[in-house]
Order: sequence, then structure tokens, then C-alpha cells
Amino acid sequence: MVPLLYFQLLSVALFGIGFYGVLARRSAVLIVLSIELMLNAVNINLIAAASYLNGTGRFAAFDGQIIAIFVITVAAAEVGLAFAIILRMYRNRGTVNVDEINLLKW
Amino acid sequence: MPLAFLIPVFSFAACPLIILFQRWLPLRGAPVAILAIVGGFAVWIVATLGFLGASADDPSCAVSGITGALTCHFTTEWFQAGIPGAAATVDQAIHLNWGVIIDPLTIVLLGLVTFVAIGVQLYSLEYMKGDPRFGWYFAWQALFVAAMLTLALADNFLLLYIAWELVGLCSYLLIGFWFENPGPREAAKKAFVVTRIGDVGLLVGILLLWVNVGSFSMTDAFAAAASGELGSGVTTAAAILLLLGAMGKSAQFPFHVWLPDAMEGPTPVSALIHAATMVIAGVYLVARAYPIFAASPEAMMIVAIVGLITALGAATIALVSTDLKRILAYSTVSHLGLMMLSLGAFGWTAAVFHLMAHGFAKALLFLGAGSVMHGVGAHGDVDIRRVGGLRRAMPVTAVVFSIGALSLGGIPILSGFWSKDEILIAVEHNLPVIFIVLTMLTVFLSALYMARAMFVVFFGPEGEDSHHAHESPVLMTGVMSVLAVLAVGFGWIAFNWPGNFDGFGSFVYYDHAEKFHFNLVLGALSIILAVGAFVLAWLIYVRRAISHEPWRARFAAVLRVVERRYYVDEAYQWVIDRVVLTVSATLAFFDRAVVNDVAVNGPADIVRKAGVALRLHVTGHVYSYALAVALGVIGLAIFWWLRSV
Repeated sequence: MVPLLYFQLLSVALFGIGFYGVLARRSAVLIVLSIELMLNAVNINLIAAASYLNGTGRFAAFDGQIIAIFVITVAAAEVGLAFAIILRMYRNRGTVNVDEINLLKW
Repeated sequence: MPLAFLIPVFSFAACPLIILFQRWLPLRGAPVAILAIVGGFAVWIVATLGFLGASADDPSCAVSGITGALTCHFTTEWFQAGIPGAAATVDQAIHLNWGVIIDPLTIVLLGLVTFVAIGVQLYSLEYMKGDPRFGWYFAWQALFVAAMLTLALADNFLLLYIAWELVGLCSYLLIGFWFENPGPREAAKKAFVVTRIGDVGLLVGILLLWVNVGSFSMTDAFAAAASGELGSGVTTAAAILLLLGAMGKSAQFPFHVWLPDAMEGPTPVSALIHAATMVIAGVYLVARAYPIFAASPEAMMIVAIVGLITALGAATIALVSTDLKRILAYSTVSHLGLMMLSLGAFGWTAAVFHLMAHGFAKALLFLGAGSVMHGVGAHGDVDIRRVGGLRRAMPVTAVVFSIGALSLGGIPILSGFWSKDEILIAVEHNLPVIFIVLTMLTVFLSALYMARAMFVVFFGPEGEDSHHAHESPVLMTGVMSVLAVLAVGFGWIAFNWPGNFDGFGSFVYYDHAEKFHFNLVLGALSIILAVGAFVLAWLIYVRRAISHEPWRARFAAVLRVVERRYYVDEAYQWVIDRVVLTVSATLAFFDRAVVNDVAVNGPADIVRKAGVALRLHVTGHVYSYALAVALGVIGLAIFWWLRSV
């Protein structure tokens, strides 16, 4: 059986990549993708922890899986909203480069 | 009598009515103003009859313990400030009332004001004919009279002060009625500002009384002053502060400077200001607040001294002035001084009597002067050296003007003689001997300048401006004739006539009724002085038997001082230039440097600089915001972790 640590390392790695993407990307689309990546890293962590800890008494049954499904649901809604915004942004400004979206800057 | 409050109400209503609808009203609404004041006069007659029939049994009337006169009050609450429930007792709430007081003083004053106002407004119909702002003139006239009537009726100091300021406002509007010209403009400003100085004193005095008495009611204040409850210091201070207001309005030295300039307004306005409104307000105030003055010997002495200085100084200036209206103006100042002097000499009845007699005579004289201006076609100044011998061209004006001049000059059997005589008796009786000597001198000068004006303008050789003179319309001469009858006969009500009329002094009195009395020595002396003055003037200006030129040469230095009006105007100018403007400049600098630059712009500067510095964190880079979010999360995590360990 694959140890829990491996899942957690994978999760941390994915989260780090996503975090880096959010900070470093200029394209709003890629920033949203990076956020998705971070959310899925959290999902992996949750499910792995749930399947290892099920039945030990420290978790109720399927708690982790339920939270993961919530995360997926929220992520779907968030993507819909985010891409709607990005679409409008593109229509209005002709770009999705966040460096050029600086109307509120001093 | 409870309807007495209506006397000013008609005129108050007439003012906005004329202003708003003058375009559609006949004669630009002038009849509205005249009807309003005639209505006021009618109500006055009703109220007077009611008052004469009233007795102390009347629920709203009582014989005042202080003035000794029957006094009726009709008061209704205006508003109260301070919630009675919240204050510890109901008495702590401030009750402010509208109220009228009706006593002999009010009755006679209202009679004078309404009567003269009717005359002046009828006269103005002709005099102001063709003026582009005919309607406005009558609107302001109505407001002026209404304010003065309210002033006379007010039974509390607050209402009195409101009316007082309205009178000041209207005088400003009417003196500056021809504001296209610089003269009236400046005169109006001067009148307003100079009387304002006194008004500040009045306001402080009223507030001082309010603080110490706890109400604006005159009755309460007088009771407190008369009983000594007020304390002698407060009483004296209040009296002097009230006197300041009276000095401003009644043109007493050193606030007299506005009145001679006030003749820049239309002449009927001068008649109104000098005879029935405005200047008598000050004398009225002192007469009304007499219990406060009477309780303070120092204040009485100040009143007398101010009156004497004013009377004598103004009489000398009137003697050397060459402008007809200016002579009359200084004559008014002088006679107001005599009234003040009389008040200061406990001659209360004499002062009020002289107020009335002078009011009729002076209204007549000013209307006469207006008639002269109308007749010779002069606008503005009538230089008495350039007109003369007008009696042929303007016989009616000449006769009535002469009557006014003789009356005011104190020629026996005319009303001015009797009222002046009463003042002389009071002064002789109650003041040091120097006062009566100087008053006698004033009486002589007063007769002399009136005689001079009368003889030079109407008798003697014809002047260069009087060739085209013509008599004024019948409306103007008619009004003057009625006033002339009063200038002759009004004084006779001072006597103890057979029947149950015991003279003016038994109706209008302070403390105790006075029968008419006549001091033979003083009377004879004043007759000699007055007649002598008229004869002297006749010899100088008509017969040319005596020349005044050597005298002019010998006293050239004195003459110059008097002709420059004792440099009072120059002194004011000096004070304004040196003191007022310096202080103003300092304050302006303080305002710019401290208030503006430090106190106002300082905080604004701080905010702007802080904004400039703080906005730099808004970089516009999404990743920097994201980094801040991430660091925040990490910080929170560390914080949570440290706490849980």
C-alpha cells in the first residue's frame, strides 16, 4: 500500500505549482487554471487522509470525500464566474493580461 | 383696547402686499400703505377711547406701582425654550411672549406716529410723483411705520429689540432710497453702521437684564430695578447700555453724525425720521425704561450730560450751516438733546411733551423744506444763501414754515414754547446751576437758527434760485396746514383747563401726576431770549441793520471749528483709519496665516501627503496582491500554530 506521505507530497507539490502559477502567470486564464490546480491538490490531500483514517475513530465515515465533493462543486461555480469575468474583460479591453488591467491603480 | 396690536399689523401687511402686487395696484399700491396707516390710526382712536374708559378693575389693567400710571397688558405666549418637563421646575423654561403694553406713554406716542405718518404719506403722493420706484417707497414707508408702532407697543425687550432693528433697517432703505447717487448710498450706510454701534449696547443691556431678571418682560425688569433687587452696579450698567442704544438711534453725541447726513433721503422720509420714527425711538426707550434709570443717579447724570452736550453742540452747528435741511437736522439733534436732558433732570413729562410738540413742528418744517425744494426745483441741497424771499412765490409754505419755526424757536403761545418751558423748569429744579445756564444758551441759539432759516429763505431779498419758484400742490400744503395747526395748538393741552381736564401732566406722568405750572422768572427769561433771537435775526437778515461780518471775522477760529462740526466726522475717520483698519489688518493677517494656512490647510495638507504616500501600495499588479494574500494566510497559520502550541 502506498504510504500516506506520498499522497501528501504529491498534494504539496501540486499546491506549490498552482501557487507559483497564480503569482507568476500574466494571463488571467492561466491564473484561474493555477487556482484549480491548488484546489485539486487540497482534494487529493483530503481524500488520501480520509481513506487512511476511515474507521480509526478520529474521522467520521466519508467526511473527507464529502468535503472534496463540496470543493469540486464550489470550484465549478468559481470557474464559471471567473471565465465569465475574463470573457467580459477580453471584450472590453482586448486583453486578458492582468498587468494591463490596472484601472484602479494610482 | 385688546385689539391695539392691530395698529402696526395693517402696515406690516401692506408692505409685502405692495412689493408683490404694485404692478397691478392703482398708484403702485400707495393707497394701500395710506389705508393701512389710516386703519392703524382708527384702531388707535378706538384703543385710546378704551384706555380712557378703562380702570384698574379691568382684568388686564392695573395701576403700576412703579410708574404710578394705569397700565394694560395684553400678552400671549410666543414660544418657550427649554423643555418644562426636563427642567427641574417649570419656571426654568424660558417663556417668550408677544405682548403689547398700553399706558399713557404708548398712547401719546402711537398717536404722534400714526398721525405724522398719515401726513407724510399723503404728502409723499405728490412729492414722489413720477419716481421710478414709487411703489417701493410706500412699501418701505409702511414697514418703517409698522416697526415704529411695534416698538412703542412692545411690552418686552425682545419684541422691542426686533422692532428696533427693523426701524434701523427701514431707515437704511429709505435714506438710501435714491441709491443710484453716491450721497444717499453713503448716508444710508453711515446711518446703519453708526446706529448699529449703539444697538450693540442695547443688546448687551437687554441680555444683562435678562440674565439678572430671568425674563425679557419690561414689567419684571422695572420691578427688579425699582425694588433694588437688581443691585446698583447692574442697574447702572444696564441703564448705560440701554442709553447707548438710545444715543445711537436718537443721534446723541457722539453718535449724532448720521442724522444730518440722513437728509440725503427723500425729504418726506426726513420728516418721518426726524419727527415720528427712528430718532424718537431712543428718547422713547429711555422714557420707557425710566424705572431703571431712576434707580441709578449716575445713569441719570450721564443722560443729562449727554443731552446737554448734544443740545448745545448741535445748536451751534445749526447756526452756521447753510443748507436748509442740514439746519433742520442739527435742530433735531439739538432738540433730542433737550429731551434727553429733560429725562436726566427727572422731567419725564416735559420730555414726552417736548417729543410730541417737536414732532409736529419738525414734521411741518421738513415738509416745508421739501415744499421749498419742490418749488425751486432743487434736488438735494437747498443752500439758504441762494434762495430767499420765497414768501411771494410760496405764500402757504412761507406761513406754515414760519409757524413751525416760531413754535420750535419757543415763541410764546405756540406749542414749542410750553414744552420747552417745562424742560427748563425741570432742569432748573433738579440739576446744578451750570445746566440751566447752558440750556438757556441753547434756547437762545435754537431760536436764532430757526429765525435765521425762516427769515433768509422766506423773507429778505430774493435769491438767485428763487425766480422760478412756485407754490406746491394743494395736497402738500394741506398736510402742512394741518400740522401747522398742531404746531400752534398742541401746547395748549398742557394747561389745566376748566372742567375735568387737568393738563397733559395729569395723563402722562412718571410716579406722580403733575399739574401745569409756570415759573415766571424762567418763562420771562426764555421769552426774552426767544423773542430777542428772532428780533436779532430779523435785524440781521431782513433789515440788514446789523451786520454779522465783524463777528465772523473776530471769531474766525471758533467759527471754523463749528463749521467743521467740531471735527467729529474727522475724528471718526481717524479712528477708522488708524484703529479699526489697523486692527482689521492684524486680524486679516491672523486669519490668513493662522486660521487659513495652519488650521484649515494644515490638516488638508497632512491628508494629501498621507494619501500620496499610502497609495503607492496599490501597484496594479495582480501577483503582488496575491502575494499579500498568501503571506497573510501564512501569517495567520503561523499565528494559529504558535497559539496552539
